Amino acid sequence: MVDFYFSNPHKLLRALHTELGERAVYDSVAHCTRCGCCQQACPSLLIKKQETFSPRGRNQMIRLLMEGKLNTRAHRLLLEEVINSCTLCGRCIQACAGKIPTAEHILELRRRLNLRALPAPLHRLLALRTSSPVWFSRLVRAALLARRTGIVKLLRLTGITRMKGLSWINRADDLLPAQTPELKKYLLNQKLSLESHNPTLVYLPSMEAEFLMPRLAADVLKTAAKKHRTLVWRNQSSGLFEYVYGDLRKSRLAVRRLIRRHEQTGNLPLLTDSADVFIFLRRAAQLFSGNKRWEEKARCFSRRVLFATDIMPQKSSVPDIKIPVRLDYSALFCREGEPFERAQKILKTLFKKNFVECLYTDADTPAFGYGFVRRNLAQETALQTVRSIAQTQAATVFTLSGLSALELNYWLKRFYPAAQADHVISLHG
Amino acid sequence: MKIPQTALHQLYSLLGKENVLTDEASLLIHAYDCSLSRTRPDLLLNLQCEEHIAPVLQILYTHKIPFVPRASATNHAGSCAALNGGAIINLTGLNRILQINTREQTAWVQAGVITADLQNALNKLGFFYAPDPASERVCTLGGNLAQNASGARCMKYGGTPDHVLEACAVLPDGTPLHLARNGGGPDFIGLLAGSEGTLGIITRMKVKILPLAKHIKTFLATFPSLADSVQTVTDLTARGIIPRCVEAMDQTTLQTVEDFSHAGYPTDAQALLILELDGTPSQIAQEAKELEEVCRLNHAHCFQPAKTPAERQKLWLGRRAAYAAIARLAPNVMVGDGTVPRSNLPLALEKVYRILQERGVHASLLFHAGDGNFHPHFIFDERNKPDVLRVKKALQEVLRACVDCGGTISGEHGIGVEKRAEMAYQYDLPTLDLFARIKRAADPLNLANPLKILPVSYAEKARPQITPDKTVAELAEAVRTRRQTRTPVIVTGNNTRLKTHTRQMLSTRALDKILDIDLTNYTVTVQAGVTLKKLWSELKKHHVYCALPEETGTAGGAFSCGAYPDFYAHVLGIEAVTPDGSVVRYGGKFMKNSAGYHVTRLFAGARGTLGIITQLTFKIFAKPVPPAAKKSAAAEPNALWRALKNELDPDGLFPAVPEDKNG
Repeated sequence: MVDFYFSNPHKLLRALHTELGERAVYDSVAHCTRCGCCQQACPSLLIKKQETFSPRGRNQMIRLLMEGKLNTRAHRLLLEEVINSCTLCGRCIQACAGKIPTAEHILELRRRLNLRALPAPLHRLLALRTSSPVWFSRLVRAALLARRTGIVKLLRLTGITRMKGLSWINRADDLLPAQTPELKKYLLNQKLSLESHNPTLVYLPSMEAEFLMPRLAADVLKTAAKKHRTLVWRNQSSGLFEYVYGDLRKSRLAVRRLIRRHEQTGNLPLLTDSADVFIFLRRAAQLFSGNKRWEEKARCFSRRVLFATDIMPQKSSVPDIKIPVRLDYSALFCREGEPFERAQKILKTLFKKNFVECLYTDADTPAFGYGFVRRNLAQETALQTVRSIAQTQAATVFTLSGLSALELNYWLKRFYPAAQADHVISLHG
Repeated sequence: MKIPQTALHQLYSLLGKENVLTDEASLLIHAYDCSLSRTRPDLLLNLQCEEHIAPVLQILYTHKIPFVPRASATNHAGSCAALNGGAIINLTGLNRILQINTREQTAWVQAGVITADLQNALNKLGFFYAPDPASERVCTLGGNLAQNASGARCMKYGGTPDHVLEACAVLPDGTPLHLARNGGGPDFIGLLAGSEGTLGIITRMKVKILPLAKHIKTFLATFPSLADSVQTVTDLTARGIIPRCVEAMDQTTLQTVEDFSHAGYPTDAQALLILELDGTPSQIAQEAKELEEVCRLNHAHCFQPAKTPAERQKLWLGRRAAYAAIARLAPNVMVGDGTVPRSNLPLALEKVYRILQERGVHASLLFHAGDGNFHPHFIFDERNKPDVLRVKKALQEVLRACVDCGGTISGEHGIGVEKRAEMAYQYDLPTLDLFARIKRAADPLNLANPLKILPVSYAEKARPQITPDKTVAELAEAVRTRRQTRTPVIVTGNNTRLKTHTRQMLSTRALDKILDIDLTNYTVTVQAGVTLKKLWSELKKHHVYCALPEETGTAGGAFSCGAYPDFYAHVLGIEAVTPDGSVVRYGGKFMKNSAGYHVTRLFAGARGTLGIITQLTFKIFAKPVPPAAKKSAAAEPNALWRALKNELDPDGLFPAVPEDKNG
């Protein structure tokens, strides 16, 4: 038996913090009884209709690799496809009786194989947010300026962006909203400030809130302003990108930085607008498994992390909203727990009978960059979502992260313009 | 085995290279199901349309490549393991609901349709499909038929085979079949039920759908002992109340489930029942009153009706979460599936507890109390070999205990490879031989899911044969004599249908005893020559009823002539004399049986072409039930019937299979 961890302890997780306690990846994989409860929950299985692309198949494949019955070199191509076809949505975990964290297993395998899922230039650009935030900020601003001035459009017309390695530019251009004003200016216009004296809350804006959707950041600040004095941490990486797409060492580094900075601010509650970041930071202790000091620190830190719905009042000032709405559950690794339950409760209170419950068969929008990993699969998965939105005739779909809202809006505009997607915080913004 | 290149090329050109896979990773990922069995196939074929099945099987037949049909692979018996290597045929692509006809109350579906997908589609139209296996969110309808799956609603509505009206299948040599229960001949749909892909591949099915129950009432009752809870179900049956579901848990399971789901179950009880009634509001109110009375008479501690839909959901919450609660306790769960006559359930459970204690094995017990079907969930870690051996041994002993209690080793999960050794403990040599011959008839090259269901060598291990009744022994001897002298046999009962006076006639008229009327399990066992009038007069004396009409003729004749296909679902056990003069026995007083091929369905409607029915056990009821409708369809011949006839009666002494009108 070969546990991946021992082959490269720095780049891999020592143990997973599962619902059933802390356990090594092999033990976690071996907990799968192959009952198949997860099968029909998996968007990639619904598309590919093959066991190989199912959660049960993925778990068994990892187990076979760990037991030495399969060779990573001989099956590299298939393994890449199996790993990259997983949307990491966590629907299988929701369906699983033993709550086996298949998405985490997939990430471990991805790290073990040193797979780069995103196109290289995009990966390098996004990795800069942790390694060199200033340069990242400059490059993104430059890119947005190029987009505003029509250079991107010109490049698209010339066909340069269709070249290998650059096609992600087309997709990014398609996804982004028409207007991407600079955050500081936007907040100034809204009479909101990035800093406050004696803050009672720290806001860690996600990348999309900071660079692509300043309205999201403004909505968060407006909602928070009712009860808190908020301090905004600009250009601070959460380490999530590295955790999912990059190097675990860098992810640990980013989280350490975050924890140190958090300690310096006197352990104030830390607010995030992205369910992905929330779920990741809530499990930050997992990154330091085996390192007691940092594990404890991470545990304390994660207890202070809040999601946008935690600052939203349950009762709305908006009376009589009579449009059918639903919640998009897309988030990384997870589909149940605090943020989902709270968001659902808020929407139910606000919209009452107009809140459309989702079936377990309803797919979620493949978010967090999945569209850049496997575009075809992302489209088919998104179509499952759009189809179910159209069937329920929901007019607004609330998401739990800005990226999901961007992605879903793109598909809705193309296939079901009667509906639109928005971040749940916009209800109180 | 090595797959010949010619076969691969033929398959490539038929299915496309992307659907014919031979890489190690893909093969190993299709080597398992929900059981412990794991065997590497040599080829994986992903089928996207059902028209490909027949040509694929023809290619495999030509090259003598074994195959295993596989869809969701959720069975607990190892039915999807390719023991002889060969091809795995992935049927998950056949997932289209072809037609829903609410007027006729039927739906045509492909074999790979997920059961819950059909339920969801039907619910929107105000209908439902009655069989509800616990894995309905994942399992396929074809798989349900192949494994003879049922579920919580089985007691009232019956199992999967009772809800399939027509089916299309392909024999292992590639011959397509269209099977219809009302087609007049043997009930081949029933025969395919539980055949685990060993007789061919089911491609599409026409299933019965029912209007959604508008009024449902759920109750929770707890008892000081398991015997009391079982007695409650028996008493309910005696009063003619058949609940929609009767689910039960023992104390250990109750505690585990409550710790996990917090459904509000009282954990001090030794047994818990969840009962559900459906019907009109007045009917439910009346039955609920009687239900409470029966529960109280049987010392129920608590009797709690669900007052609101939310309360109903809460009552079901724990039961639905039972597998999840148990699955968390250890890396592996092995689910047993014993079924015994309901009256023997307390005795069987007592034996099970003793076995668990002796073997030092932990298991939780869930059961469908209405059917006498219980599922011990053994928890263990498959990486710990001594642990696995202990659990396997305990399971074997539990299954044997079921047989000792007059039951079967499988009620709804099938035999596969995990329980095949115990088949020899349940059945005698002639019956096992009959199973082997059914398999040989449909699959002479032993290509379809080989090495399943039947024990590898059973001649010495088979259960000793019970000496048949004197009259049956004489009839068997007469058949053997005629075989030696090559004299044809025309089987008759009361001679109502054939009205023949030929010397070749062999009558069952001497078999005229009503052997048992069981008012605990609500079954009757009669010899085949018992006239329906005599049966009815005897049943009336006991104030019970059956689904056979009160007409002329014998019970055996009514079952064999194919005129009452609705009655087939009521028949639980059979004894018959095969054309070689052997006496075979299948089934008994238990409500479900997934062990071996459905011999009752083979002889149902066979019109004496495959042997002589000597004895039948079937359900009776405390309240009148509508008699089975008379169907007068001419028997439709098919390749499977002919193959079975050739195998069981090679000399053609029994009546011939009707000629195919189309030639």
